[in-house]
Amino acid sequence: MRHGLLKKPWLILFFVVVFLIGGSWGTLAKAASPHEAIFDQAHLLTRVQKAKLQALSSRLGKDRKTDFLILTVNGTGGQTLERYVEDFYDSQAPGYDKAHGNAAILAIDMKERDVYLAGFQKAKRYLDSGRMDQIRNAITPELSDGQYYQAFSDFMHKAHDYMGYKPGVNPNSILFKWWFQITVSLLAGLIIIFFMAYRSGGRVTVNAKTYLDHQSSGVVNDYDTFLRRTVTRRRKPSNNSKDGGGGGVTPGGYSHSGSSGKF
Amino acid sequence: MILYYKCPSCGSDMTFDPKSGELICDSCGRIENIESYPEELKQAEFSPEETKEYQCENCGAVLITTADTVATHCSFCGAGVVIGDRVSGHLAPKRVIPFTITKEEAIQAFKKWCRKGLLTPKGFMTADRIQSITGMYIPFWLFDLNSKVQVSAICTRESTYEEGDYICTETEFYEAFRDINLNYVKIPADASEKMDDELMDRLEPFSYDQLKEFKTPYLVGYLAEKYNYTDEELLPRVKGKINEYIEAYISSTFRGYHSVDYRQKQIETNNVKSFYVLLPVWMVNYDYNNKVYTFAMNGETGKVVGFPPLSKGKMAAWFGGIAAGTLLAFKCVALLMGGGFL
Repeated sequence: MRHGLLKKPWLILFFVVVFLIGGSWGTLAKAASPHEAIFDQAHLLTRVQKAKLQALSSRLGKDRKTDFLILTVNGTGGQTLERYVEDFYDSQAPGYDKAHGNAAILAIDMKERDVYLAGFQKAKRYLDSGRMDQIRNAITPELSDGQYYQAFSDFMHKAHDYMGYKPGVNPNSILFKWWFQITVSLLAGLIIIFFMAYRSGGRVTVNAKTYLDHQSSGVVNDYDTFLRRTVTRRRKPSNNSKDGGGGGVTPGGYSHSGSSGKF
Repeated sequence: MILYYKCPSCGSDMTFDPKSGELICDSCGRIENIESYPEELKQAEFSPEETKEYQCENCGAVLITTADTVATHCSFCGAGVVIGDRVSGHLAPKRVIPFTITKEEAIQAFKKWCRKGLLTPKGFMTADRIQSITGMYIPFWLFDLNSKVQVSAICTRESTYEEGDYICTETEFYEAFRDINLNYVKIPADASEKMDDELMDRLEPFSYDQLKEFKTPYLVGYLAEKYNYTDEELLPRVKGKINEYIEAYISSTFRGYHSVDYRQKQIETNNVKSFYVLLPVWMVNYDYNNKVYTFAMNGETGKVVGFPPLSKGKMAAWFGGIAAGTLLAFKCVALLMGGGFL
């Protein structure tokens, strides 16, 4: 008893410390939880819109195990929007199942009219800078028109869709389009049927070699005279720099994909 | 002048047997070798338009033939006869490929072919409405052609390489010349007015190792026609047939170039040799839905050609199947690439 009492204050202190640490982890986890997805510091959304986007983010995020976050600011205090997003990721530590986890972030700065998209962890692999460019290009007109709610929900839908494609595959490839698949299938059917009907009456089985006398036929005389040489130069397409240039590494050491532009 | 082949033993009519390639007597089974059968016909020469009526010396009935008929049957006593003056003199075929497929084999082969038809109606596939099957020797000219080709062209060869930030395309220009000598041997062209050219072309190839010195007994028991077109008349058609072969050969000599721009192309084709042959064809008349379809079968190889009826239902089914299959394949590829099934 005495023994236990003696140790009691120490134990209390221990529990308090554990509680505090746990609490601070708790707040961190709260920031990282799917409950907080819309950081509308520029006040672009109504309460209802915010709630809708929040619900959409949790629903789609659960499917891809990724946080889809919207960040609106009115000025970034002098730094680039990319840096702002990096700091946000470092400090807020979002992520679907852990701190600094999978997250796709759409950030807009109303003051500079900058837009930046970033993908971390799984979202970095599945939403590489090329795909982020495609998403940004798709939603920029809506942002320019001031349809923020529409643009944000499109971002979430598109990011969710694109994450269904393996990394390295162009999700906008014509191969994935319904109309293309159906047209090609119907054409293939038509061509093969035509071919079968044509062949139904017996096919031609003689070719150029059937009647040729190989021994006495051939090239009797030939020459190939070199005339001239021309060289044309063109610049290498700068695709690579465009794709890879959007990403970077946060000061906290987390690498990410990204795409930046104006709206 | 009508020729009969009587069995030296019993006096019955002999017919040609495709299996052994000899004359056979149906009554007593005697077999006569065609190569050694006395041939005294080729000297006789008559005008081909002379008569269209003959009297069968077997039974006395009057045989009425068209002016082109060379071999036929007497419609009364069934004896196989050859009208000798239509295969003699300048009308004498030089060579013949005898039938190697008997009538029974031809029927079986035709039935088998019908069963394989993927687009033909079901009722057609059973092949139980064969109206008639007739063995015919069709007149063909075999041409040996020589083509002298002289072509000159400007050709290019391209290579690309990288140099710093630039992609360089290097194009080398050549002036190329080819002098080509081509010999095409035994290209067949049917010389019968009645036969569809396209159909006859599809019957090819005949294997020429079966080509025999012409003897009239080969024709016994079959129908045969004499030619309607001379080799001179058919030459343009044969030249047209080998034109694409020549073009293919020319372009094959320019392999290795990325582009070939022909500046001059001279093709001179000459008829080296042409000779008149009779080639074996089974003609099949088939009755389906009150319409008669005609098919031809190569009497040497058994290859069947013709224009069979096509079933709309089957075509639709195949079309649907192929289109659906392709779509499914697309979806699977999309799925593999991570695009999701829908």
